[in-house]
Amino acid sequence: MECGRHLNIEILTLSEVVAVTGQAGAFSVTVKKNPRFIDMDKCIACGICSQKCPKKVDDEFNMGISKRKAAYIQYGQTVPLKYAIDPKTCLFTTKGKCRACEKFCPTGAINFDDKEEIQTFSVGSLILSPGYKPFDPAGIDFYGYGKIPDVVTGLEYERMLSPGGPFHGHLEKPSDHKEPKNIAWIQCVGSRSTNRCENGYCSSVCCMYAMKQALITAAHLPDGGRQTLFYMDIRSHGKEFELYYNYAKEHDIRFVRARPHTIEPGPGNTGVTMRYVTEDGRQLKEDFDMAVLSVGMEASADALDLSQKTGIELTAYNFAKTGSFTPVSSSRDGIFVSGCFKGPMNIPSSVAVASAASAEASKALISAKGTLTREKKYPAEKDLSGQPPRIGVFVCSCGSNIAGVVDVAAVVDYAKTLPYVVHAENNMFACSTDTQELLAKVIGEQNLNRIVIAACTPRTHEPLFQDTLKEAGLNGYLVEMANIRNHNSWVHQKQPEKATAKAMDQVRMAAAKVGLAFPIQELQVNVVQKALVIGGGVAGMNAALGLADQGYETMLLEKTDALGGNAWHLSTTAKNEKIRPMLEQLIQKVESHERIEILKNARLTSSTGTVGNFTSSIQIGNESREIQYGAAVLATGARESEPTEFMYGEDARIMTHLEFEKELAERKDRVQSAGSAVFIQCVGSRNTRRPYCSRVCCTHSVQNAITLKTLNPSMNVYVLYRDMRTYGTREDLYTEARRRGVVFIRYDLENPPLVAKTDGALTVKVTDPILGMPLELTTDYLILAAAIVPNETRELVELYKCAVNADGFLNEAHPKLRPVDMAVDGLFIAGLCTYPKPIDESISQAKAAVARANVILSQNVMQLDAIKSFVTDHCDGCALCLDVCPYRAITLTQHSDNGHTAKKISTDKALCKGCGLCAATCPKRGVMVHGFTTEQLRAQVYAALDLIG
Amino acid sequence: MIEIRVGKLAKMLGIHRNTVRNWIKNGELDATPMVGKRYGIGRESFTRFLESKGVAKNMILELMADAAKTPGPGKTAKPETPIIQKEVRMLDKPVGSVMVVGGGIAGIQASLDLADSGYYVYLLEKGPGIGGGMARLDKTFPTNDCAM
Repeated sequence: MECGRHLNIEILTLSEVVAVTGQAGAFSVTVKKNPRFIDMDKCIACGICSQKCPKKVDDEFNMGISKRKAAYIQYGQTVPLKYAIDPKTCLFTTKGKCRACEKFCPTGAINFDDKEEIQTFSVGSLILSPGYKPFDPAGIDFYGYGKIPDVVTGLEYERMLSPGGPFHGHLEKPSDHKEPKNIAWIQCVGSRSTNRCENGYCSSVCCMYAMKQALITAAHLPDGGRQTLFYMDIRSHGKEFELYYNYAKEHDIRFVRARPHTIEPGPGNTGVTMRYVTEDGRQLKEDFDMAVLSVGMEASADALDLSQKTGIELTAYNFAKTGSFTPVSSSRDGIFVSGCFKGPMNIPSSVAVASAASAEASKALISAKGTLTREKKYPAEKDLSGQPPRIGVFVCSCGSNIAGVVDVAAVVDYAKTLPYVVHAENNMFACSTDTQELLAKVIGEQNLNRIVIAACTPRTHEPLFQDTLKEAGLNGYLVEMANIRNHNSWVHQKQPEKATAKAMDQVRMAAAKVGLAFPIQELQVNVVQKALVIGGGVAGMNAALGLADQGYETMLLEKTDALGGNAWHLSTTAKNEKIRPMLEQLIQKVESHERIEILKNARLTSSTGTVGNFTSSIQIGNESREIQYGAAVLATGARESEPTEFMYGEDARIMTHLEFEKELAERKDRVQSAGSAVFIQCVGSRNTRRPYCSRVCCTHSVQNAITLKTLNPSMNVYVLYRDMRTYGTREDLYTEARRRGVVFIRYDLENPPLVAKTDGALTVKVTDPILGMPLELTTDYLILAAAIVPNETRELVELYKCAVNADGFLNEAHPKLRPVDMAVDGLFIAGLCTYPKPIDESISQAKAAVARANVILSQNVMQLDAIKSFVTDHCDGCALCLDVCPYRAITLTQHSDNGHTAKKISTDKALCKGCGLCAATCPKRGVMVHGFTTEQLRAQVYAALDLIG
Repeated sequence: MIEIRVGKLAKMLGIHRNTVRNWIKNGELDATPMVGKRYGIGRESFTRFLESKGVAKNMILELMADAAKTPGPGKTAKPETPIIQKEVRMLDKPVGSVMVVGGGIAGIQASLDLADSGYYVYLLEKGPGIGGGMARLDKTFPTNDCAM
């Protein structure tokens, strides 16, 4: 991982915060560093200490399903890859005997004199991210966890599925190690419950992980097996999550709305017998091979301890207390929080709030930026001209990921026989920090000038190896990866011999290609340290303010004549904070900021250039203007759709959420005197036309239902819903609404409520699934939770060549790990334009976009990828490639030579992405891509067909 | 109950008179005004207050003894080094580094963003290696990418 190699990140393992003194900008943090008993400088992670260690203990990384030794690493790719001795279980530290590891360690790294150390660090800000603790269901006796072997938690099951886990990816029952065919998942274990635990909140992630596990299980088993999910509400409220839910339903995952109340040992003492009551009141008993408890998240003891030591406030559930408008700030100035410390959240949200926290943490330290960092200096590149290739081949075992299938030793031996290969070896993990050092050493010793890495995908790991080559004085483009994991060992698990042969083919092809590789120079771009923000809603304004506070001149583009967007129409957040004062304050700050220029009634009309250096034309009213910027944040927002169903528009009493907000603000008396109100959820969402969930409407309706009950406790308030999705701590509102007597009635997509008007009275007919009877509700208000639809972005998408999903929401570069980056470098997204979300999440995203843009804007000069097209002498200007280039990077030029005028193309290095469409189109080898020349590809194909040698 | 004078206390602590007045004004120092610019304060709450300001134990005893004496014109010499460090109001020269506590996916992301934009990062992790909860996951939906 990048972190382990970063020059400006110092990883302090086995360390805890003891105390924090000082104030924002200048904290002094006392840290206790626990002894590792192994010298990190000497340890080569050979694993002998662990082999020789006689003490076996439960492996907490595998959730205690398997054993590890007292001398251990957590998992194969651990950063830093150094062993540690666990003093709580080691025989020497507990009983004073053994020291076997010390005897066998080849480098003398074991040091039992290692002592606890107290160190003090001066830092400007702190970010706390202590994570969560999976709920322990042992206290809930009726699930039988801990007593029945085939009842496991979701996280244990995750380890059981993993190839690196205790069963090496072969699914088996813990009781008799036979393959389970029929598995049940029970949702909301330790969440949404105040009966056997105090976790009234929803953990937000379990519905999705259970579905994922069910689908992966189905793929694991030869005949697919049978998977059943017992749930209360399916909460697939994230981007594309609803599609995943639909996909699971289509793929025969069985969903049962019930909460099993008893699990007993199954027949013959394997498996389980489960008792549950269905919605229509039937009592059922069913046998399963295994039960997986979808346990939720709770605050860890560490988090509690940390909050006390740092002096920050917590919520009633022991999560860090934050405000909706300051989503990453703790109660103490200069200390910020991220990840699940803020409350249960999934990976993309964690990543986004982490970036947001980094933006906030750095904001106060701008004047000290760059004062403590170091820059990487690479040695000068060796001159390779005239040298024949000397290829080194490194074959990765990837733990057992590759070596479990492919005979890596045979591949190494084979590689040694290939032309120009002068060195070949096998590594446990080619990507580990130690192997990188070894690689650099071998390059020097053997004078290698081309490298083949037979391991995993270049998509994630090529930059790492390129960096290592550069450190060793070689050009970064002299490495070729053969993907013998994803393309081979993973897909040919059952045919190890053929897989080994294929790995040899792959290595031969890579060696043939890399033999023809030449050094390529990276392109540099001077960064324009200005930012553009498109959209003047809450997300856009926060992004602009953040960027300006980071010291960049920022232009804020708004298509209308007013800032604020949707927030003008909202009254309070889910935490009951008033939105209007915050909004007015925000607008005032943005308008008065010296580094923000606000461009109202403006739109973007053209865009050229690339990351670090964009040039665009904008139209403001009738004027046109050209602007330059290094990065842009797109916050184009979304809006409430206009319903087409439930008689909307035919009666003034039928209104959308936003219309009802207005009614509440302007005609409180009339609302107060109403006898009844009905909310209908999922109006225009989660149907065939818009297969996504609009995420915010459940909370919004529940909040308004509470408001109505507060105004008039005798009012009859009904919420007609499909799945109640008050995720996270919003669940408390749902509980509160029920406590106040709001009636919740579920309906199905196939059987929606019927709205009618008879004699002026508005009636809603719906079938109550629990009573099994139709109900007719007469109401004074019918409030429709209309879907949220993205604003029109076609023009922008066209200009920037960025991506949208089928529903029209802008797409991120990676749905999990890069939630605010776009696939186009230098562009970031925030707010509703990516997906419907509440105000605090919009603000988090905006701040995250600031942090990500800061990475680009803080540099004066930026390195670009060197894989670009180039024109050869064969080009005769036929211009066939012009039409196919998706980035408009090719132009036709005319030049004279000795009185001859000839046409030829030229390519724009900054715009070119190296996609190779031009090279594929060119009939005469007139244009090629660096690193993928026709000669190289031909050599690779010949090698594949085994025509060489 | 003991009697204190603002000026004298300030001098003894090596801070400005107004700082003491502010403490009294905002209720931090629970003192009631008495005759002749003097303030009365409970012995216990005075000790607690001094402790919370980080004044050493023996110094507190000295101050108490001093304050208990019949108040006269302030003769106590100003201590060479102030007992209470003046509150650091500088933010013109903050420290250019950040500590991130927790080496899970969030901690790692925060560290990378900060380190890539010009700040030195200390990434603190309780266990022997970073990775956190996500490293445990087999695959992640919807792409079913390997969590590593």
